[in-house]
Amino acid sequence: MAVTPTAALVQTLNGIQFGFILFMIASGLTVILGILDVLNLAHGELFSLGAYTAIGVFGFIIGIIGPPGGGVVGTAVFVLAVLAAVLVTAAILLPVGTLFEAVFLRQIYDRDQVYQLVLTFALLLILLDVKKFIWGDSSIRTDAVYSAINTIPTSELVGLNYPTYNVFVILVGSAVVVGLFWFFERTKTGRIIRATAIDREMATAIGVSTDRVFTLVFALGAFLAGFAGAMAVPPTSATLEMGTNPLVLSFVVIVIGGLGSLRGAFVGALLVGVIRSWMITLYPPGEIAAPFAIMALILLVKPEGLFGTWGETA
Amino acid sequence: MPERVDRDGTPAYRFLGVEVTRREAAFLVLGVVFLFVIPDIASLSDSLQLSVIHQGLLFGFAAVGLNLLLRHTKLTSFGHAAFFGTGAYATAVLARYAGVQSVGLLLLGAIAAATVMAAIIGVLSLRHTGLYFALLTLAFGQLLYAIALGQSALGGSDGLPIRPGPANQPLLFGTAFSPDVYQVLTYYLTVVVILIGLFVMYRITQSPFRNALDAIGQERTRARFIGLPVRRYVWAAFVISGIYGGVAGGLYAVVRQYVRPEGTLFFLRSGDILFMTILGGFRTLVGPLIGGVVLIFLQDVGQDITQYYEFLTGVVLLILVYGFPRGIVGSLRSGGIVNTRLGELRREPSVLSAWGRSAAQSLERKVTEAMTSLRIILFGVD
Amino acid sequence: MKRTTTDHDSEGIGRRQLLSAVGGSAVAAALAGCSTLLSDGEAADQGGQSGGEISDEPIQAGLLTFTRGAPGVLGIQAQRGAELAVQRINDAGGIGGQREIELDVVNEGSNPLDSYNQFIEEEKEVTFGPISSGTHSQIAPEVEKNEVINVSTDGTVTTLYEETVPDPTYSFRFQNYDIMEVVTMAREAVERIGADNISTVAGVNPGYSFGEDEMRVFTQAIQKLTDAEIVYEGFPELGASDMANHITSINNEEPDVTFSSLWGGDVTTFVRQANANDMFENTTVFGTTLYSAAGDVPGDALAGTDIYSGSRNYYWGLPALGNWQPGRELFDAATQQESVTVPTAHYMSGYGAVTAWATAVEKAIDLLGTYPSQEQIAQVLEGHGFFTPAGYHNIAEDHQGASNSFAGQMVYDDDLGAARLEDVNTYAATETAPPPGVTGSDWLDSWSA
Repeated sequence: MAVTPTAALVQTLNGIQFGFILFMIASGLTVILGILDVLNLAHGELFSLGAYTAIGVFGFIIGIIGPPGGGVVGTAVFVLAVLAAVLVTAAILLPVGTLFEAVFLRQIYDRDQVYQLVLTFALLLILLDVKKFIWGDSSIRTDAVYSAINTIPTSELVGLNYPTYNVFVILVGSAVVVGLFWFFERTKTGRIIRATAIDREMATAIGVSTDRVFTLVFALGAFLAGFAGAMAVPPTSATLEMGTNPLVLSFVVIVIGGLGSLRGAFVGALLVGVIRSWMITLYPPGEIAAPFAIMALILLVKPEGLFGTWGETA
Repeated sequence: MPERVDRDGTPAYRFLGVEVTRREAAFLVLGVVFLFVIPDIASLSDSLQLSVIHQGLLFGFAAVGLNLLLRHTKLTSFGHAAFFGTGAYATAVLARYAGVQSVGLLLLGAIAAATVMAAIIGVLSLRHTGLYFALLTLAFGQLLYAIALGQSALGGSDGLPIRPGPANQPLLFGTAFSPDVYQVLTYYLTVVVILIGLFVMYRITQSPFRNALDAIGQERTRARFIGLPVRRYVWAAFVISGIYGGVAGGLYAVVRQYVRPEGTLFFLRSGDILFMTILGGFRTLVGPLIGGVVLIFLQDVGQDITQYYEFLTGVVLLILVYGFPRGIVGSLRSGGIVNTRLGELRREPSVLSAWGRSAAQSLERKVTEAMTSLRIILFGVD
Repeated sequence: MKRTTTDHDSEGIGRRQLLSAVGGSAVAAALAGCSTLLSDGEAADQGGQSGGEISDEPIQAGLLTFTRGAPGVLGIQAQRGAELAVQRINDAGGIGGQREIELDVVNEGSNPLDSYNQFIEEEKEVTFGPISSGTHSQIAPEVEKNEVINVSTDGTVTTLYEETVPDPTYSFRFQNYDIMEVVTMAREAVERIGADNISTVAGVNPGYSFGEDEMRVFTQAIQKLTDAEIVYEGFPELGASDMANHITSINNEEPDVTFSSLWGGDVTTFVRQANANDMFENTTVFGTTLYSAAGDVPGDALAGTDIYSGSRNYYWGLPALGNWQPGRELFDAATQQESVTVPTAHYMSGYGAVTAWATAVEKAIDLLGTYPSQEQIAQVLEGHGFFTPAGYHNIAEDHQGASNSFAGQMVYDDDLGAARLEDVNTYAATETAPPPGVTGSDWLDSWSA
């Protein structure tokens, strides 16, 4: 079947958009892995917690400002309000991440790695039912955000038929990527974190509180996962099971990129997003298997992943 | 016949290479008898289902295999469902497409398929250790899951029945039994397989091979320097552990007469198998088996008593991590935490409130610490 | 297989005493588990009574359905339907005027087989459910072995009575099965836009066996009815959050017809994202179970869409409520129940399954004068005809229910606060189902192109 250039472009954009969401989840996972040496199985639940929380926050904020007013100003206010809601959601996840690290994880760093898996899995199960307790069994949705943002003309201006919300995700996602790299390259805290990743003992020796770095990193991961959840939920609905798939795909992403490598996570996320997107177009049955096949392939060629481990470069 | 030997001053008996003290022998006999009477206990109680215990034993048996890797080579496999599923699906494919009816042949097929699968995945994933290895095994497991889901010949998400031949069921001793008799007979088959499997595993852990694996687990480079063929040994251990998974999966398919991807290959099943090992006690031989029964039972009973059964399982795992890291069997052993604590409690009952106080204090301290960290993260150090 | 506990025990103890005499107590203990193997498992017919008076002991019934999670959208409808039927029967004095029904509802979760076996251990006299096709394939053979009647609510997989249980005795299915709902929609597509106007067809179906089967049957049917070519087949995962890729592919191909068997929350995701991508400018969607999202899909997502949905063997608005009193009463009762916005086809799955069994038992009592055995009920159920508010139903000799099917345009109704079907067409079972004894695939093959 013939794929028109327009469809090819849109399909690629779809993949990039999905890749950005994936990156926001995987980046936290990979940084936690690189620094704490912990594989956080509950990361998907943090993402889903973000989605659930966001629905409440969106409702609250839209309740205050009302539906988007007419004109450029009204639209801009609405978009800013949505962004603010996303940030608030992510901020709500900060203390969750902090508690995770300080209360639960910190006590078992010196144990066998397998206990960390058991622990984060236990937290996964607990979060699952906490969500069920708060929000109930059936899926919940926020309708206003997706449809309102889609009424803003963007892709139509260049003669393309592409939902504005997806454009929004790509723009915000790019900003997050830029922000993260800036944070790790340019800020003092970011450099301290990287220093800790390279050599924990050395960092301690020069006066870095590794405890605090660990907490910070975990909180940052939770923040990003919550951010991703808030961005991902408007076109769809929040369900109890929604954390599983992104978690497993994030594993693929960070293995492709190299455990702990932020740059690797970025490339891996876009790669998985776009290839998956093209797979659905050209060979739909391969949708589920494709990411794992790519991963197996890359590992055979380059066993330590595309970018090796993290630290020296972000 | 058992031969009397002396072990560190206590009299012990040796039989077929298994050396036990009198106390251990008593436990052994008791355990075996218990396994055999479970069908009767289950038939007397409404809340206890033979099929649930049976399933627990099967997953637990896979966990016994996984434990060979975890305990000795320190490798954490997060993809053991791959072998369980391979065994189960091999059985289903043989029954459906080759019309194999004999349970024995079906199980042989399961073993063969799991061996091949473990050999391949082993070669590909054992180039790595640590979390990389865990993630790789997980990915291979998910790849198999995706394949089973995607192939209509494998039944897709609906799965495949194991109902070969005119009798519409696998044959034991060439005979088709009625459903409840079949259930009990296959249970006994499982018990026999488990006893053999445990015996073999025991012999492995008494052999020089185990010492080599231990050496590899402690320090790979050193092991290589002293001339151990590290990769070959680890690979052999991986394949053996995969075979245990395959046998368990094959039995699972024969017992339930149906396999579906989610029940056998999904990565959460791999998680289950791993957590059973820890739950039961991964420094012990039979711990994983007991962990299997307990975890499956917990999930099943939990569903009946509360809709928040995941929470329940989560809390049990938390308690395990912090309170009983050596697992059920490890903690019950003499010198284990349960015995120690029970001893303290017997001497001085008021110690209970002290424990409660110290737990509450430590939790409070942790939360305060967390909040301080959060404040610093958000507002910087003042 | 009915054994009383006392029998079982005394026998077990007797044998154990004997064994301990011959082999010592350890051997006796070790072999005690064999009691199941030694007791004669094939005693009386379960649930059957040897004649005479009908007792007033309540009938223990089990329903296996999804009570939570994503498929709860379907399962809870079936549960409420079954509960209403049971309530109506009990209010009327129970079966035979004496025996009330006690319905035990269990979630069809990750281990439905265990739940089903538990029903059997608890000696349920009848079981209803399941919802999922996979579960049905799994338990139907068990139903035959256990010889306790199961009237399934759904589990509508086409091959069930063709391959899985080719010659059923105790397993029945009330709801129209997959081939019927798919052929209904193929006919509906031709009816609405004309065979000559359908030259390209695409599909977006859930990525598991059900969705793949539906697409296969639709392909077979539509290619007999038209000269259509299949241009795209997408299978988003169950609960997929993002269907943009599938929608873009549809937009790329601009097919005349897009077939979909998405259900529940996936319908809402699909329709909202399709609308945002202006997909309905390029195609018309025909779906078998889209209407299952009636109470979930928001009004603005349906605005400007071009969607036709089937509704299996029940649509609440047909005949129009104003001139069909039973329909009116059912609708009012259903909408009073918890978590039923409007009753959908799955509501009738539950209601009808219970009704099919109950009316068959009544018929058997009339004929026999005593309470019937499982085998006797099964005989009556074969070819059993009965009414529900959805109309007349017939359980054919092949154990498959045959009823009219409905399809119409899916639009949003502000007054209702839910979607409804407009301009509904009715299709007779003879138009949508193969005659008993012919497989669906052979039947479709036999159509002249």
